Amino acid sequence: MSETLVSVQDMKVHFPIKRGVFFDKTVGYVYAVDGVDLEIKRGETYGLVGESGCGKSTLGRAMLRLNEPTDGKMVFDGQDFSSLRGEELRKMRRRIQMVFQDPLSSLDPRQSVESILVEGLRAHDLDKGKEETDKRLRELLSAVGLPTSALRKYPHEFSGGQRQRIGIARALALNPDLIVADEPVSALDVSVQAQVVNLLEDLQEQFGLTYLVIAHDLAVVKHISDRVGVMYLGGIVEEATADDLYEEPLHPYTRALLSAIPVPDPEVEDRRERILLAGDLPSPANPPSGCRFHTRCPWRQETKCDTERPALRELKPGHKVACHWAEQIRSGELQPHAVKPELVEEGDGLSPDVPLVGPASVTEALG
Amino acid sequence: MALLEVRDLSVVFQRKGEEPFRAVDGVSFDVEPGQTVGLVGESGCGKSVTSLAIMGLLPKRGVTITGSVSYDGTDLLKLSDKEMRDRRGRDLGMVFQDPLSSLNPVVPIGLQVTEVLERHRGMARKEAMVEAKTLLDKVGIPDPNRRLKEYPHQLSGGMRQRALIAIALACRPKLLIADEPTTALDVTIQAQILTLMKELVHDLGTALVMITHDLGVVAGLCDEVNVLYGGKVVEKAMRHKLFAEPRHPYTHGLLASIPRLDAPRGEKLTPIKGSVADNIPWSQGCAFAPRCPNALDVCTRETPAEEAQLGRLLRCHNPVVPGTPAAEEVSV
Ligand SMILES: Nc1ncnc2c1ncn2[C@@H]1O[C@H](COP(=O)(O)OP(=O)(O)OP(=O)(O)O)[C@@H](O)[C@H]1O
Ligand SMILES: Nc1ncnc2c1ncn2[C@@H]1O[C@H](COP(=O)(O)OP(=O)(O)OP(=O)(O)O)[C@@H](O)[C@H]1O
Ligand code: SF4
Ligand code: SF4
Ligand SMILES: [Mg+2]
Ligand SMILES: [Mg+2]
Repeated sequence: MSETLVSVQDMKVHFPIKRGVFFDKTVGYVYAVDGVDLEIKRGETYGLVGESGCGKSTLGRAMLRLNEPTDGKMVFDGQDFSSLRGEELRKMRRRIQMVFQDPLSSLDPRQSVESILVEGLRAHDLDKGKEETDKRLRELLSAVGLPTSALRKYPHEFSGGQRQRIGIARALALNPDLIVADEPVSALDVSVQAQVVNLLEDLQEQFGLTYLVIAHDLAVVKHISDRVGVMYLGGIVEEATADDLYEEPLHPYTRALLSAIPVPDPEVEDRRERILLAGDLPSPANPPSGCRFHTRCPWRQETKCDTERPALRELKPGHKVACHWAEQIRSGELQPHAVKPELVEEGDGLSPDVPLVGPASVTEALG
Repeated sequence: MALLEVRDLSVVFQRKGEEPFRAVDGVSFDVEPGQTVGLVGESGCGKSVTSLAIMGLLPKRGVTITGSVSYDGTDLLKLSDKEMRDRRGRDLGMVFQDPLSSLNPVVPIGLQVTEVLERHRGMARKEAMVEAKTLLDKVGIPDPNRRLKEYPHQLSGGMRQRALIAIALACRPKLLIADEPTTALDVTIQAQILTLMKELVHDLGTALVMITHDLGVVAGLCDEVNVLYGGKVVEKAMRHKLFAEPRHPYTHGLLASIPRLDAPRGEKLTPIKGSVADNIPWSQGCAFAPRCPNALDVCTRETPAEEAQLGRLLRCHNPVVPGTPAAEEVSV
């Protein structure tokens, strides 16, 4: 269980912003992923959370080399995946599969379920004659809880939850070690999400799979993950076991994020302290200097916060945080203060010549 | 008499060559000033159609609306288009899920707010400008002076939603209908917007109809909750009661199927089997019957009637006995 399967080292993905008549001039970069280190152990589920645009999908795709990383590498089962070419890369790709958010757009509407599944097997020379393949298909369908009659049907004939099962069967077909699931339930109806969450959990147990689950819904991620990484503007700001993260969030952003998630229980909601953040997420094309969270951080200090980028460091065993003042915040020595919302702009910087007023970010008890 | 009384509201869509489709089926609820009433349910259960019917925003062709929507004693369904347009600016405000589609893309935000102020509150341009700035300020838009001159596409999703709320507030509506106002937003932004809406209800006594699929949002915000399934209200109660003791198998099942942030890890979720695609028509029994762990024979023969009991309305032949754990077996 403690063997490292995936090791991501200083991964960066910068997308060039092109301008000019032929889009030949690079005028800047979107720093979608900007220096991420993480390790996933064999058999565990690593959850990646963060708000829209923080770079979760880009990181997942870069790990699969669906986006070529600008910098950094991923070591998979002891081999440098980033440097593999040709046949070696193809072989390794079989071992890492992806499940997507929107099952309908990731399944070819003109292909029957059978041909979708067989296609993958063929691409990796796993189609070993009719009889064996048929047996494999039946196994796969039963593993994801679909009837064999599904084989002759087409994606549009299924409900969202069933389509997601097909997507999972397709990933499973190749006997992968790692499944990267990008928002696997967020397109599904609430009443159906649990079906897919439970399925993923059962399959992990049955086949000893390792998961990287990417989602913006922290309740789902906390439920399914052993360890969780919280992303903000291209970087991981906190990493801990799911329980630890919830029990004692150390990064100001994680604290705000956790406090913002509604819990379906009026008793809890009435008693909750909510940390309201001011303003919007800055653009990843123009990330703030120093700590990227400093423009919204209720604990921001005069020194370091806007000049030095904090490194992700271990504050207690297995719990890492990227904040200069994590110890003082944890001990209560530093208290949150009001934050004025800043204007978030693409390209040019902040120009608050008019005094910024508005509801400050306050820690307040809702009730 | 409540400020808004929706009675037996039904909406039937009729397309050429197709069976008529009953999207909303006998929905009734009341909203008082300063009260928040929630409509909750999954995709396609009729939440948006209900709100559009109240606001008079459904197309005229191919749509039959029955029942009544009485606002301050007037049945809105009987008003002319012009009268309704007037009401919408003045008494009734609406905030949609997708702010971009309800903002005018070629008119600066400021002008969209001042227009409302001039038309409905009879302000002069100058006065309206000052008030517009105050409103943007109030909804937490930084640097309102500058934002007033900008176009919707220049704002982020969260800022657009605030601008839309500012416009809805401009005419100080007595009733605000919010249809998934935060679904497209990040949770930290959602928390800001929900706090704003709470203040509205509390400070100005606005009556709020909150439409959402998120039971967490309902738990924190709504006084009374209506759970919709297949166009019908299947359970209605005050939020504390509903969450503490869900009696309808659908409500009960929903609550057992969502992961809670504060639940101990390793706790299994209990899904509801199947999907809404399995529903049977209400005319043949209970629409939820094919997915219901409590279903009896009678459920596929007789439509369950709405019954009142101890501060709760329930539409079910075999409600959940309080304290029952969620049903176990689940197949596809
Ligand atoms: N191919 C691309 N070219 C340019 N920019 C991109 C590209 N793909 C993503 N981006 C940008 O990179 C940033 C990170 O995007 P990404 O899709 O990884 O975010 P995410 O965390 O997955 O968000 P969401 O929760 O919305 O899926 C965004 O600002 C996005 O606009
Ligand atoms: N103009 C229309 N013509 C025909 N059918 C419609 C029309 N508008 C909505 N419907 C149908 O009415 C039903 C209820 O739709 P509605 O938009 O109210 O659902 P909802 O509860 O708001 O769902 P969501 O959570 O997805 O927004 C759906 O089955 C929908 O397809
Ligand atoms: S480093 Fe400073 S700005 Fe960043 S999270 Fe810590 S206290 Fe806040
Ligand atoms: S009426 Fe019958 S099928 Fe419908 S919810 Fe009640 S028990 Fe279930
Ligand atoms: Mg994504
Ligand atoms: Mg809707």
